[in-house]
Amino acid sequence: MGCGHNYHWSKSHPLYKKAPYGKLAIAGTSEAFVLTRSSWFAKKLGWNPDSIQLKATAFCEQVFLDELRRAYPNYVKIPDQNFNHFPEESQKLDDRIFMKGRLPEQGVVVKDSAGDIPPYILILHEFIVGTDLKRETYFDYALIHNEMTDKKTSTHISAIISYTLWDNERQRPLFSAVDEVQRPITKPTPEDLEALVRSAVKQIRINLYGGVS
Amino acid sequence: MSRKSSILLFALSILLLTGVSFGGSKFFNSHPDLWKNPDILIWSLDKEPVIDPKEFCLSLKRTNSGIGDPKCRLQGEWMRDSIAVRYATWLNANMDPALKPEYLKARHPAMQAKIQALEDQIVLYIATNGNNVNIALFDETASEPKAAGSILLSPDKVSMGDEIASMFFDGTAKRRLSKEERKKKMTEPDEYFQEVPVFKMWAGIGMGYSQAQIPLTPDDWYSSHVNSQVGNYRITKDSVSLWNFLDDSDPYFTLYVGGTWYDFIGLELTYHYAKHHMKTDPKDTVYQELDHWNFSQHEIGLSAMFSRNYKPLTWLDITPFLFVGFQYSFFVEDIALKDGVKNPSKAYKARIKFEEAYKGALVGFGSHFIFLKHYGIGLRTGISSRGRNMYVDPSPDAAAESSVIGGFTPDWFIGVGLEYHLSLF
Repeated sequence: MGCGHNYHWSKSHPLYKKAPYGKLAIAGTSEAFVLTRSSWFAKKLGWNPDSIQLKATAFCEQVFLDELRRAYPNYVKIPDQNFNHFPEESQKLDDRIFMKGRLPEQGVVVKDSAGDIPPYILILHEFIVGTDLKRETYFDYALIHNEMTDKKTSTHISAIISYTLWDNERQRPLFSAVDEVQRPITKPTPEDLEALVRSAVKQIRINLYGGVS
Repeated sequence: MSRKSSILLFALSILLLTGVSFGGSKFFNSHPDLWKNPDILIWSLDKEPVIDPKEFCLSLKRTNSGIGDPKCRLQGEWMRDSIAVRYATWLNANMDPALKPEYLKARHPAMQAKIQALEDQIVLYIATNGNNVNIALFDETASEPKAAGSILLSPDKVSMGDEIASMFFDGTAKRRLSKEERKKKMTEPDEYFQEVPVFKMWAGIGMGYSQAQIPLTPDDWYSSHVNSQVGNYRITKDSVSLWNFLDDSDPYFTLYVGGTWYDFIGLELTYHYAKHHMKTDPKDTVYQELDHWNFSQHEIGLSAMFSRNYKPLTWLDITPFLFVGFQYSFFVEDIALKDGVKNPSKAYKARIKFEEAYKGALVGFGSHFIFLKHYGIGLRTGISSRGRNMYVDPSPDAAAESSVIGGFTPDWFIGVGLEYHLSLF
């Protein structure tokens, strides 16, 4: 049944007419990053297994933010206290794909640390780093309870990213998507991890342009 | 003078009708239940609502005589509640003709709870937005607007009320349900699972034109039949088509009744009448005794229809359909000799006879245009045929029998009808 299903991995608002250019705010990064198979990564990267989760997610977040700053010169980060109090809601992308994440309330604008109101906010809901991940196993509700065999060999490191481009002025989701990026590896290095996050940002930017309806 | 004034009145009423229909723009309307003696709560985003509750009640009574005794008041609780005000502000910024209702859904659980607690009161949302006024209707069944639209802002509260009333409250008002009835209705199945399906029927009278040649097909398929002439009361080159004998391009008249279930599948019974002249050869002197020689064509057909209903405007339904069916045709001869001819010729007595009945098929498409739910105009075109009777047992000497006259007589038709439509369930 899963094989024949043709997934829609993104959803655009009918009035999403123009992708953000130059100016973008970002929210949700402080709690979005998750590393799976952490002991494997610890062994391969030679990082301390006790702190690998903290270290790797902080590393990925930093690369993510740096990459965004390069892409959007007028980039601001929404402070956590202005955003993290919003409740989590699920968004339906497809008959079987539901993504979960915080969305600001209708009628409430989100302010940046300077007190300004950015027009667009990229809300990062989840950024899952692992090996050979498939997004349907995380987001298709019919498959999420399936157990996967633990593979000994990994051919790719991968990231699954769910995010929403938020229209802060009218408080509506303009574009929501779940992306998957893969990077072939033999032995992972921090550079591989960095390249993975960079290609994830690139993928997000491509999709933000492609999603304009 | 009276005629002039009646024309003036007609023009005025057309103007009024169009004015009422096109003054505002409706974004969507899923026709929420309108109750008799309804409670209407006016939820205004503005401090000073653009309509007056009392005047609005009078507007409702003026536009909808079946509405009974409406009660209108301001939805004060929502106008003071900060969550409702946030949603109202948001709705005002987001309402757009391009958006389906699901994009206007209230997301806050507290707001959803407020809407669900309405208990068959109707909330009329009104908010000025520049020169326009956004309007939306809410009822307890969904946390998104059931209908939405916008009208031009005007300082005249009465005319604003009239316009809103005619835009969204012109439907048939139903008796308000008791608590138990409402509970029962909540568990009622979807309309496609109803025990009695939605059934619509119509009756019509129409006229049209038919000819042997089907448009966009070559002339030479037909020329031998169409150009054929009958000599000596029965002689033609061949007799496979009745159009070898009869004029094919003639007007026809028709009566029909039909019905559809679920706006999708239906049946139609048609009666079709046309008169055809015999194509007697003018050079043949044997016809000098003849006054006239015609055949009346009577056809009774039954077709299956497949249709779909579209409702672009409240007063207009467009129902395109396809039909395929069978028919029986009867040709009744009408012949007379000139006055004073006592003894007709031998050829007259041995003149051609057609089969008693022909059986054929008809296939085509068309559309009903239904105004104000009842008055329709139907257009249709198609191909019909009449041929040999299928219910003849094959006989051992079938090969020796002469072929049936008019064994294959197709034609093309196009017609228009006036219809009355009725919805029973």
